[in-house]
Amino acid sequence: MIKLYAAALTMAALLAAAWPMGAARAEEKKLDPAAFARGAKAWADNCSRCHNVRDPKELRDDQWKPVVTHMRIRAGLTGQEARDILLFLQGSN
Amino acid sequence: MTSNPRPMRLAVWGALAAIATGPTLAAGTDDVKALKSEIEALKKEVEELRAIVRKQVPPSSEAVAALRQEIARAQSEWKDVGSTKHFAGYADMGYTDAKNRRGLFDLARFNPAFHYQYQDLVLLDAELEIAVGENGSTETGLEFATIGLLAHDYAVVYAGKFNSGIGQFRQNLHPGWINRLPSTPVGFGHDQAAPVSEVGAGVRGAFPLGSMRATYDLWVGNGPRLELNPAGDEIEMIEASGATGDPDGKKVFGGRVALLPLPRLELGLSAATGKVAVVQGGVAEAARDYDVFGADAAYQWRGLDLRVEYVEQKIGDQAASVAPEGGRWKAWYLQAAYRLAPTQWEGVLRYGDFKTPHADQNQKQWALGLNYWFAPNLVGKMAYEFNKGLAGAPTDDNRWLLQAAYGF
Repeated sequence: MIKLYAAALTMAALLAAAWPMGAARAEEKKLDPAAFARGAKAWADNCSRCHNVRDPKELRDDQWKPVVTHMRIRAGLTGQEARDILLFLQGSN
Repeated sequence: MTSNPRPMRLAVWGALAAIATGPTLAAGTDDVKALKSEIEALKKEVEELRAIVRKQVPPSSEAVAALRQEIARAQSEWKDVGSTKHFAGYADMGYTDAKNRRGLFDLARFNPAFHYQYQDLVLLDAELEIAVGENGSTETGLEFATIGLLAHDYAVVYAGKFNSGIGQFRQNLHPGWINRLPSTPVGFGHDQAAPVSEVGAGVRGAFPLGSMRATYDLWVGNGPRLELNPAGDEIEMIEASGATGDPDGKKVFGGRVALLPLPRLELGLSAATGKVAVVQGGVAEAARDYDVFGADAAYQWRGLDLRVEYVEQKIGDQAASVAPEGGRWKAWYLQAAYRLAPTQWEGVLRYGDFKTPHADQNQKQWALGLNYWFAPNLVGKMAYEFNKGLAGAPTDDNRWLLQAAYGF
């Protein structure tokens, strides 16, 4: 039971650390001019680790957003990598 | 008396000319009148239109700006909404022709998946599995359903039912349009060596580590259940698919860490530990140890895809149990797939080995496959398996497999 409480405490600490960065995240959207290039590389490197890369034209901008978040969790991407890939996909469809 | 023909001819020609020209001249006069009236009508219409145009005021620059703003807002409307969603999933259909059994269409499966995201904070991620059973019934199951909180760039906190984080195959490679062969590697199916899913909560993510990248996944869950043999004195198999029940009341803690020293090279280690108990008549016996270990590696280079994975689940002994002996269920496979560029053909070779405390479950397998990719997410597969198991058991039968798989 102690292990369970320790795990819950760890998660709570991670959550507490989340909110300030969540606010910073919204500000980052317009800035990085190299994000598109980084996104193209991250897309090529990461998608093919499990499956064939998907054509950016397969989905609309709004559809790519939850898909990329799903893949961020499933493929182990950082938040920045996921945003770069999303920018690349939305800019290429 | 002779007549003079010349005046006669002139008279005839004159008559003919009068006949020919008389009506034409009359008709021409009518046309001119009609045309004149039409022109007058047109002139009137033009004047009316000019009057209308004169009354119109040219749009102001403010009005143009407002219109442009409206168009821009419409074009980026999706960015302003709080929630976005996407319907995804996959489906696969298959045919199997095994030795000692007639060929049959034995797979018709549809896995719809739903992604609902609220802002950059939360993702609901769920997948169903709907398949046709042997007797024609439809079997439906919840593959996974998690709510994930995007805590920060390096962590996602999640809870619900999730694919086991032990190794790679069960969490990322099992969908038909991703798995390079029509079949699951031996030992990586349901109730075999590899845990399938878990109900619990966890945290996972990735972070840079110098020039490399690392990923991690830590979770806690209810753990598996044990199934006894018909005699009730041996553990037949481990049901390591997520459940909301936890008869022994003790949780299982697990995790996986992976390093990516190169962008397309992944090396992973995973483990889990906890307790599990045999349940008799709804009552749990004394708990016993439950330990899991996994190791996996994957590498892609041009058209080559290499994978190797090992997993084992170990159940400890419990002298007070009706089934005192524990056991070890372990499996591994090595797979190589090569895309014959620039064609859409792909060849696959896999070797797998599954060892358990029960001879009828043990199996070694060579599988040889040929795939044709109609699209990056649509594949036709053909494979032949050389199986070595207990003589007379289905695990010993070689078989042909055909499969079509589509991911969307």
